[in-house]
Amino acid sequence: MSSGRVLIIGGGPAGIEAARGLADLGVPVTIVESRDRLGGMPIAAHYATLTPSLEDAEQAMARMLAPLLGNPAVELRLGAAVSGFAGAAGDFELSVARNGSQESVRAGAIIVATGFQHFDPGRETQMYGYYEFDDVITLPESEKMLKEHSFVRPSDGRLPERVAFIQCVGSRDRQIGNEFCSKVCCGVASKQAIEIRQQLPEAKVFIFYIDMRMYGYWENRIYWPAQEQYKVNYIRGIVAEVLKKGDRLVIRGEDTTLGRPMEIAVDVVVLSVGMEPSQGTREMARLLGLRQNKYGYIETEGVPLATVLTSVEGVFAAGACTGPADLEDSVSMGGAAALKAAALVRKKALAAGATG
Amino acid sequence: MPVEKGKLLSVEPERIREHQRLVLDGSDISGHWNRMFEQRVIWEYTPEQLSKITALEGGESLGWCYQCGKCVGVCPVDVVGDYGPRKIFRKVQAGMDLFSADDLWLCTTCMNCLRVCPKEVNMVEIMPAVREQAVLAGSMPAELQDAFEKTARYGNPLGEPARKRAEWTAEAGVEVPIVAKLGRPVDVLWWVECYPAYHWRGKEAARALARTLAALGVDFGIVGVEEKCVADSQRLAGEKGLFESLAEENIKTLGKYQFRQLMVTDPHAYNAFRNEYPKYGANYQVVHYTQLLAPLVSRLEWKEALHYRVTFHDPCYLGRHNGEYQAPREIINAIPGLELVEMFRCRQNGYCCGGGGGGMWLDGFNARHLGERLSERRVREAVEVGADVLAVCCPFEVSRFEDAVKSTGNEGKLLVRDIIELVDQARLGAAR
Repeated sequence: MSSGRVLIIGGGPAGIEAARGLADLGVPVTIVESRDRLGGMPIAAHYATLTPSLEDAEQAMARMLAPLLGNPAVELRLGAAVSGFAGAAGDFELSVARNGSQESVRAGAIIVATGFQHFDPGRETQMYGYYEFDDVITLPESEKMLKEHSFVRPSDGRLPERVAFIQCVGSRDRQIGNEFCSKVCCGVASKQAIEIRQQLPEAKVFIFYIDMRMYGYWENRIYWPAQEQYKVNYIRGIVAEVLKKGDRLVIRGEDTTLGRPMEIAVDVVVLSVGMEPSQGTREMARLLGLRQNKYGYIETEGVPLATVLTSVEGVFAAGACTGPADLEDSVSMGGAAALKAAALVRKKALAAGATG
Repeated sequence: MPVEKGKLLSVEPERIREHQRLVLDGSDISGHWNRMFEQRVIWEYTPEQLSKITALEGGESLGWCYQCGKCVGVCPVDVVGDYGPRKIFRKVQAGMDLFSADDLWLCTTCMNCLRVCPKEVNMVEIMPAVREQAVLAGSMPAELQDAFEKTARYGNPLGEPARKRAEWTAEAGVEVPIVAKLGRPVDVLWWVECYPAYHWRGKEAARALARTLAALGVDFGIVGVEEKCVADSQRLAGEKGLFESLAEENIKTLGKYQFRQLMVTDPHAYNAFRNEYPKYGANYQVVHYTQLLAPLVSRLEWKEALHYRVTFHDPCYLGRHNGEYQAPREIINAIPGLELVEMFRCRQNGYCCGGGGGGMWLDGFNARHLGERLSERRVREAVEVGADVLAVCCPFEVSRFEDAVKSTGNEGKLLVRDIIELVDQARLGAAR
């Protein structure tokens, strides 16, 4: 027996795109999402806008989701988790746990799109004082304030005069174990810097970086406007520590292009935290027996010319569960995974028809 | 700190003078005197300093620098000192007030940085814009101010009387017609400019050019005493007002005469007539003398082969600024006997003589900031390729390089010649 259904684990941008593609092809889909809402990190982490378009995140995700809602080919399981797994490509049997009850779902193929989580700055080896100082925040916390149009000093609610972003927090670091570049933080920090300058034209914004990694069009769509139009100050050299002096934070580091030590007062420090595999990614990799790399991400097989194959036949992976990925990567991978999954269930169905 | 026979002596406390606040070269070194010997901490970034510059027309692009450093690699000033657009951007970001900083006057506007800049940070516009404000505030090196004043008073930066502007023609050996006296249109109106009209080495080149034009049968005339400095270098050094008032006068003068082509001896004048005067409504068919002569040079008869190994220095304002690299070389290659060897920096990445953008009048100032003159570095490069002659075609360069030949101890090893002087020498031979 084979199943023509595809089970998608994770309802973020990658999973949504996979579901859209499969539904368009007439392939029945079940989406299992652990949160009680679709939309993934842009919704769950209260993104103000998407990078690099600066489009309102709620609106953009709502538009993306629209074709799925009320679609007879799509079954949604929100607040649910895959808890059991058996079978083989073409005929998997999965247990889906939800509200304390178990449901069995049969699927010919599985797409894992369980995403990432933001790095916890408490693990940073530098003295950034995230858990000591209220005014040291992370990219998603800054994003949330920008969404609410109230970017303030968390300690006293006052408008900041000076905001400093510190790049590469939790990324590119052997000691922490995240040797990879998280790929999006340079762009997201620059995008937020633009938004801070839009919302608070009097504020001065600094970005301290090792090297700006603005690949492709992010260079001209975000980095250049941030510097040229929005007067964001880019300073090469990573802040090494954040200290509290009076009611202000003082950041210390080296200004490497001047070759001089630097110590300046700021009101808010935004830590540009990178990506790590989400809890769901780790759990699903374990449950489905998918090979993981040393960082815990699901290993895709056959890179660079294959992007969504895993070590288990019939199980595909898309988006940031495979490693740092921006929205464009994630959505493209979702589409590619849908194609692979649709082809697989069709092939198995044809084979079953021929033998049966 | 006093040092005697290699021994470091202690300094008596009463001899130490402490300033409450001391800023040197844009860096705040306030504090206990001992601190000067430590690394200086940046206490503040001041986007305000940058905003002051980017708010100026022409100053916008300084804010675009992303610190790639390509400019510093090709900056001729950095070769002999510590300078470069990338560094200027950072110093300003860290608090330097460029309007009052010495760094403001070191740029020669040679344009090599802009040639390589991926962000199109344009020092050729930024520096004049900031300098203009400094000049308006009366803050500029004295020797530069002197050149401005002479230009304003006499119509030339050398401070020579206007009525002597055509005196060089007397010893040319050929008739050099003044267009006003001809009373008819000329094919080529020759704009001589100040150094060829007044400087003794410039005059020699001007006479050689007059003889060559006559030999070719070119129908030409000069403007003579009515001609005033085009002042493009004064503009780039910050005296835009002076440039504009002289442009107004010169346009009026040129409007009186009919001519097909406007030929200039000076690449700086070439640049102004070609790129600046059109902004004031004046459009001329302007050529540098090398461009006029290159297609005609085969018609010349030669009396003497010049057995020199010659190297050519591209003027910034003929080459990089206006794209002409070939015409001077065609003339050199047409002169019998010459062997042209290129210096390792030539054409697009040619080195700068240091005279542009006001550098011509800042030698004393620059000497306090640079390890050696740019012209001295260039002379060493010419010697390095084994040249006997350093050929030039910009009136600033003959005197600059001849001084540099002396100061670098290369007298007798390297001759500095305007290309037209080489033409003249080969054409006339011993008869000259």
